[in-house]
Amino acid sequence: MTKEELKALEIAKSVDARGTACPGPLLAAKKAIGEIEEGEIMEVLSADEGTKRDIPKWAEKKGYDYLGDIEENGYFKMYLRKN
Amino acid sequence: MVIGLFSGGYDKLTFAGVLLSGAAADDMEVEVYVHLKAAQWFVKGNEEGKLYLSEDNERLDTCMQKLKEAGSPSWIEYFMMAREMTSVKIYVCSLAGRIWGGTNNENFIEMVDGIIGIGEYIDAVKSADVHFLV
Repeated sequence: MTKEELKALEIAKSVDARGTACPGPLLAAKKAIGEIEEGEIMEVLSADEGTKRDIPKWAEKKGYDYLGDIEENGYFKMYLRKN
Repeated sequence: MVIGLFSGGYDKLTFAGVLLSGAAADDMEVEVYVHLKAAQWFVKGNEEGKLYLSEDNERLDTCMQKLKEAGSPSWIEYFMMAREMTSVKIYVCSLAGRIWGGTNNENFIEMVDGIIGIGEYIDAVKSADVHFLV
């Protein structure tokens, strides 16, 4: 997805994990994904470089769609759809 | 996944907690076998014991401070979080328990699931898909 498409997504749940390093954001994402329905989209905010690699791999393993990420000032916004 | 937890150092306990967290995110079932020095922290009443690093102990304060700044929970908080998310069983080696004053289940903190002999740990390692010795 393009940056514009990602920005236009309807977000069902946003997880702000910018205050924690790996594995905090992954755990936060794992907890939060249970709170959304299939087909809905979750956004994960993280400033941790390792997490930027972990979240797409985790999404793939769990069968979620990793839609992409946007780099902001000092952090990333990552988007995934629950299937 | 099986973790053989031998070290009592705060750094390695934290690493074990991080491993558990990764396993929890993947819904992996984990068995932790607690041996010798690590067992001290699982005996009731020892929770407030003196922390140390497995190496370079003079850097303990710096390490603790940096972990705090990174938003890292304590090692035991990692363990508790992982147990809330996936199946984590924690077993203490009977010899190790005895060294630190734990001879029956009541002597250990609540998260301990049982006391085992070395044979059970070896069997678990034999059948595990992944094994870490920390």
